[in-house]
Amino acid sequence: MENQKPHVLIVDDERGLRLGTKRLLESEGFVAEAAENGAEGIRLAKSNEYDLAIIDLKMPDIDGIEVLKAIRKENPNTVCFIATAYASFDTAIESTKLGAYSYIPKPFTPEELLLQLRKGYEKRLLILEAERLRKEREERLLEIAYEKTRLKTIMDSITEGALVVNRTGELVMYNSGALKYLDLHEIFIGDVILEILPVEITAIIQKFIDSETYIPNSYSTQVELKPNKELVIEATCSPVPHTDGSLAGVVTVIRNITESVKVEAVKSQFVSMVAHELKTPLAAVIGFLKIILDDEVKVSPEQQKDFLKRSYTRLQSLVVMVNDLLDISRMELRKAQREIKELEIDQILKSIIDFLEIELQKKKITVSLHTDSPACRLKADQNEINRLFTNILSNAVKYNKDNGSIDINISNSGNYLVTRISDTGIGMTKEEKAKLFQEFYRVKNDKTRGISGTGLGLAIVRRIVDSYAGKIDVESNPGEGSTFSVYLPLSLSK
Amino acid sequence: MALIAIIDDDPDILDASTLVLESKGYEVVTASNPKDGYAIVFKHNPDLIILDVMMDEPDDGFFLAQKFRREKIQTPIIMYTSVSKTIGMDYGASEMVPVDDFVEKPITPDELIRKVEKLLVNQVKE
Repeated sequence: MENQKPHVLIVDDERGLRLGTKRLLESEGFVAEAAENGAEGIRLAKSNEYDLAIIDLKMPDIDGIEVLKAIRKENPNTVCFIATAYASFDTAIESTKLGAYSYIPKPFTPEELLLQLRKGYEKRLLILEAERLRKEREERLLEIAYEKTRLKTIMDSITEGALVVNRTGELVMYNSGALKYLDLHEIFIGDVILEILPVEITAIIQKFIDSETYIPNSYSTQVELKPNKELVIEATCSPVPHTDGSLAGVVTVIRNITESVKVEAVKSQFVSMVAHELKTPLAAVIGFLKIILDDEVKVSPEQQKDFLKRSYTRLQSLVVMVNDLLDISRMELRKAQREIKELEIDQILKSIIDFLEIELQKKKITVSLHTDSPACRLKADQNEINRLFTNILSNAVKYNKDNGSIDINISNSGNYLVTRISDTGIGMTKEEKAKLFQEFYRVKNDKTRGISGTGLGLAIVRRIVDSYAGKIDVESNPGEGSTFSVYLPLSLSK
Repeated sequence: MALIAIIDDDPDILDASTLVLESKGYEVVTASNPKDGYAIVFKHNPDLIILDVMMDEPDDGFFLAQKFRREKIQTPIIMYTSVSKTIGMDYGASEMVPVDDFVEKPITPDELIRKVEKLLVNQVKE
């Protein structure tokens, strides 16, 4: 702007002065335009923004004060001078009140005029610079406000909780996830949040704040906010640096890990149960083998053979159990690989009865099968349905008494195909019934002691029934036998 | 010779342990559940009790040991354990577990004999 030539408007009805001033200014590096009366002056000022204006106070058409007002209204940043031969204190005051920068008494020397105009131009440049800065600041403020809204939207769209504290431990920013996962109802920006947060998290944040310098490490902690694993969170705290590298504050990200903690607990409990169930037969076999191999322990050939036979039996049962375990772990996978086709349940049950024939004869158990003729068709995977009923029927044989019976009834009820399998076995108590479908649970009492099993049969049954959105009921009393009712939905969607 | 009571619900473990102990000249009585175990201890008043930690319920052995101590039966007890230690459920003898020693399954004849002898010698000294 300094390299540009200052534009000056001269408004004066006196021709000689007007043209003389114009020529003078042009020779001094100004761009000058002249108006011979007030109306012309106002017109020019409306079509151009001048840096400077020299306005004669007394003009025949419009008074200089009015011209000044009009120019100031149009371009408030134009620096205006009032020139007059009728210099008076009052008019000087009035014109500066109205926004004139200065007052030039007539007649004036070229030096006086130029000095005034140069000072006025400097003023003009300052006004323009201030204006530019003000606009820039306004724009920045808008940008910041927009940035803030955007940041808030982003923060709230994150499903994890996030909260930021400054170096004095005051809350600077948070999202709705933070409230939810910290189980807090209300927090406010500026709160001394360290007093409210769980101590485990506070300890980490405090460590960052105390160290004062910025350490680029994050630390995590798990906190059980509600007992019995009802709400478990993982909080990760990271320092936030200033641009100069000093510590600005700490951001804490909070993740709800309740579900995965629960899954982990179930998994590890399952693993330890499996480990125990696998180790029990192995311990027995190894015990026998150690005795046979131990020279110190005398074992007769008959005993040796007995031990080896029993070891073999234990290992066989171990193989059955491992297969059951594999089936359980494959169950989810199988759901995707099912071969759904129309099955005749009565035919499947008949083939299972044939398969169990030797056991049935040994205990002299009779089996009867009743069906409502249209009731037997169901769309499902044959292997799974076969496995489901084999497990229930083999229990009905194993836990039955000699000369007992098994009664099978297939019918339709509402949307379900219902298969009811009743035995005349040992039955069970309410407590035993409650645990029946748990993995590795086996009813243990004098009557069951001789019966072998993995404890997984009914766990597999339950999984299969669940995977078809079916249900299973058990009615039983000790000594009175048991009835298992399997409900499978007739309209199976894949 | 000393009389030893073994209480374990696994018949294979019972027979193997019995054979090992009998081969060293001990007399053995066995039971395969906590109820019978309690009965044989009262009936035979053994010099040593070997007790499986997990029978019908995961902590049957603990309860039976506590019951003996409550009823002032101070007979030394060796507890058979299985996976508890390997899965981190480590426990030692304490007021809750009032036993004198542990044997981890599978049972090694040498180790069993050594622990049995040690406890029986102590008892004789007392």
